[in-house]
Amino acid sequence: MAKRTTTRSVQQKPAHRHGKGRCVAILKKLSAYIDDELPGTLCEELRKHLGACPNCEEFVASLRQTVALCQHQPAPALSQAERARMRNDILRAARPR
Amino acid sequence: MKTPAPAKQPTPASRNEARTAASFDTLYRDHVDQMYRFATRLCGEPEVAKDLVQETFLNAYRGYQTFRGDAQVSTWLYAIAARACSRMRRKRKGAPDRELSLEEFIPTSEGEFRLQIPVDGLSPEEALQNKELRQVLDRAIAKLPKKYRMVLVLRDMEGLSAKEVGSVVGLNERAVKSRLHRARLFVRRELSAQGIAASEPSHNGHPFMQGGR
Repeated sequence: MAKRTTTRSVQQKPAHRHGKGRCVAILKKLSAYIDDELPGTLCEELRKHLGACPNCEEFVASLRQTVALCQHQPAPALSQAERARMRNDILRAARPR
Repeated sequence: MKTPAPAKQPTPASRNEARTAASFDTLYRDHVDQMYRFATRLCGEPEVAKDLVQETFLNAYRGYQTFRGDAQVSTWLYAIAARACSRMRRKRKGAPDRELSLEEFIPTSEGEFRLQIPVDGLSPEEALQNKELRQVLDRAIAKLPKKYRMVLVLRDMEGLSAKEVGSVVGLNERAVKSRLHRARLFVRRELSAQGIAASEPSHNGHPFMQGGR
């Protein structure tokens, strides 16, 4: 998220210098960007900016990684016995004698 | 004259009950694992998650007649679970939900732009073999204010579309996307604030999240 005049350098990354207003404007669009939901022109504009701003590019990559980790985070499963016990409890509660 | 006792015939009510029980068994068998996964992601604690699953299916059993079939069964169940979860939380009186603003997610130092966790060169599955990373991710999600957590869990973990999430939580798509975005930024910031060492030697897997747009 730096001004477009910033030149990209692999060895020395420029500091994060653009104003807060610009940052929020870019930040706002990033989920739509990674979800492929931005209209073509906006997407192109953002892509150009990312190409010129290594910090922003890293930020987007880290957001993408975050989403991918959430999507793949494993969840615990119930045992067969727990499943059966819970079913019986539900039916007992649903049909009180 | 004594009238003979009528032969015991199933009444319409008992036939209805038998049909409901049979439908319930199918519903339960097909969706209990999904609902437990959802509940665990929302509540964190297994015992609370089991209570939520039971509450969800009990409400589904009682409301089965009202299910009109114009939504997917799973979306209907997610909505029941989401409502049950809000009720359970109100009873526990947790901290009130705070709003997340975009400004708070703007990095202020160089180190905050990338994740401080071992993911480079790994597929998400490979990265998540690291137990510490799984725990850090769980904690980050648990720290989310609950209305943001609900949307993130439904969209990014349960895989519902933004429209489906909207019908579960009663929001329009635009509001869902706005909440989702803030939730993702929150989790990203938590992961970038953590320092986790790689627990295993690197794998020769797919590069982590290369390509895209």
